[in-house]
Parts: sequence; C-alpha cells; structure tokens
Amino acid sequence: MSHRYRAVQWTRHKAVYDGVIAGACVAFVAVFIGIGMAVHRPPSEVSVPILLMRALGTLAIVLLHVVLAIGPLSRLWPRTTFLLANRRHLGVATFLVALLHAAVVLGFYGGFGVQNPVLAVLVRPDGSVGFEFPGFLALLVLFVLAATSHDIWLAFLGHALWKWVHMAAYGAYALVVAHVALGVLAGKPSIFLPALLLAGVLVLGGLHLAAGRRERHRDARGPSPHARAEDGWIDIGDPASIPDQRARVLCIGGGHRVAIFRVGDRLTALSNVCAHQGGPLGEGQVMDGCVTCPWHGYQYRPHDGQSPPPYSERVPTYELRVRGGRVQVCPTPNAPGTPTTPIAIPSPTSPRP
Amino acid sequence: MATATIAAIFVYLALGLLVAVPMAWRGIDRLDPAAARGSPGFRIVAIPGIMVLWPLVLARWSRGARP
Repeated sequence: MSHRYRAVQWTRHKAVYDGVIAGACVAFVAVFIGIGMAVHRPPSEVSVPILLMRALGTLAIVLLHVVLAIGPLSRLWPRTTFLLANRRHLGVATFLVALLHAAVVLGFYGGFGVQNPVLAVLVRPDGSVGFEFPGFLALLVLFVLAATSHDIWLAFLGHALWKWVHMAAYGAYALVVAHVALGVLAGKPSIFLPALLLAGVLVLGGLHLAAGRRERHRDARGPSPHARAEDGWIDIGDPASIPDQRARVLCIGGGHRVAIFRVGDRLTALSNVCAHQGGPLGEGQVMDGCVTCPWHGYQYRPHDGQSPPPYSERVPTYELRVRGGRVQVCPTPNAPGTPTTPIAIPSPTSPRP
Repeated sequence: MATATIAAIFVYLALGLLVAVPMAWRGIDRLDPAAARGSPGFRIVAIPGIMVLWPLVLARWSRGARP
C-alpha cells in the first residue's frame, strides 16, 4: 500500500507465487528443448539456439494467455481469484521471457555483423518489414506494461487511467497473433505454434464472452424500477439474507455498483470499486474489522471507506436508511472516506419508522 | 519508414533514461509522498516507468504536484 514503496512488496504468498512461476518457466523451456532435440536429430538444421528461441517465444505466448485468462476466470470461478492477486508479477515474467526470446533472436540472426542487430533483424534490405516487426511492437507494449506495473504508477496515473493503459495487453496479444501468423506465411515455424495459438484465441474469446454474459446477468438482477422510492433511494432486498462479514452487490444504474456489507446486525454501504486497482470489494469479506478486497487485500473500514492507518486509500460511502421496515440505499455516493452511521437490520417485529 | 520508427522509439527511450536516473534518485519524491521513503530497490525499479512516462513525469514534477 502507499505508506512506503519497495521494489517488490514481498509476502510469503508472493514469494511462493513467483517461485512457482520461475520453476514452471524453467521446466517448460527444458522440456521444450528436450523434446525438440529428440525430434530434430542431426543433420537437422534446427539447432539448440533455434530451439531455445522457439521455447522462449512459445512460453511468452502461453504466459500472455494465462495473464489474459485470469480476469474472466476469476469472475466465472471465484476460487481462482488468488491467481489475480499477483497478476502483475505474471505480466512482468511474460515481458522478461519475451525479452529473452528477442535477445536470442538478435544474437543468433543479427549478432557480430557490421549492421545494427535490431535493424538487421527487423528491416529487410529493401526497407520493408517482416513478421518480426509485430513481435518487436508486442515486446514494446509488454515493456510499457511491465515498466508501469509498480504501485507508484498506479497512484501517479490513477487507477482508471492505469487500467486503461494496461488494457494494451490485448493490443500486445493481437500483435503476437500477427507475429505468428505472418511467420507461418513466411514459412518459419512449424504448424505446432499456430495450432496452439488458434486454440488459445478460441479459449480466451470463450472465457471473455462467458464472463461478460455472467456480469450482465448479475447486473440484471439488481433492483427493479419498483424497488426505488419516490426520492430515488433503492431497496436493498432482504438484509437478513446477507451472510455475516459479507456483502450484497447492487447495480444502481449508470454502471455503478454498491456493496452492502453486514457486520453482525449492522449494515454499511461502500462503492464496490477498490481504490487500488478497481477490484470488486463486494466479493471480499470483512477481516479484522475491515472490508478486504479479494484482489490484493487492500482494506477499508466499513463505516467510512477509509484504509486504516498508515494507509491512505479511500472509497466512496453510501447512506442507508430504514423506511417501512425496508432498508434503502441512497444512489448518490458520498465523497471518498465520508463517515456514515451503520444501521441495524430491522427485525420483522421492530417498530416501523 | 520502419527504420525511422525504430530510431524514434530508441531516441524516446534514451531521453527517458537521461531523465529517469536523476528523477528516480531524488525528483520522484516530489511526485508521491510515499516515494520519499522509498527503498533503493524501489528507485531502481522506478527507472523503466519513468523512461516510459517521462514527458508526463517531467510535467507533473515541474508543477510540484502530489497526487
């Protein structure tokens, strides 16, 4: 969080996560080269450096698929949310693997020549570019994403703009697809990689469509027009059915979502959007007295949306009231960090205000 | 055209590196209060980000604004 920056905010969980990523990457490259050497026996032209660059390129593509699949996966199967917590580490790993791929390519095809190795690989003698150029652009995009992945850039740009910038991961993916497709046309790689990529495109597309469909369905279950009072306040439904230390998320129109949290017999309402990376607060739970974002563990006090000291993040709060024995939420948010008074869940026998 | 595009990208990043080293060393403290207490490792990790965003960083730094 924002009280003091370090290179990496290491925790035991993050160390294990990164260790698994590193081990899986090394194993992937080793297995890929091992199988490649078994298949391409001498006098095959496919040497170990070529296998290495193919292994690293394929690994970068696999990692990019995982990075892009984590978002919809966590929406479809909340148990996979733990993958989301350190997605940026996976993104940086993707860039580093792609960089290694590019370094091997430059060294193998452009090294020790009189021409600049980057230009030697990317630009043909007639000035045109080949399948390598989209790969170079994809690497640049991945560099921008990795370079701006630290929390300071999240604070510097604000989470909305930061998120928008990081949507460029899809642009990098499109460039990678072009890189591989043009490579096929140029007769470079085997059929293995294009087939893998086609399967990946279909899986990723399917996951995103399914997750989008579920989100629309969830929003459609929000308050009906009849649930709004004349002054616009919205009925939250049966508060007793909200599990203790958990929340119910309401779509209140305009794409805004409110998370109604229950702590014991008290209710409070916060914006559903975490101030860190826009995570869904309503899918988290109250831990140590604070609403805890399921993505990265950022915490907020339920009654004022303020992170406990020494942290300074704040989210908007919403007013709640009881009318006719029903709990209603004001659709207009308070300024981030504004204190509110938790209300008691009305019992069926309590007097109606 | 391709050669000019590649050259422009590398010039942009080289200028970014020139800005990034002093900015990561001290200047970034003006951008974010938490950066002033940042570790040496954080300052190294901040360099690539400044290389990418250096026009924006310089503009924000010259205004002395804190987010």
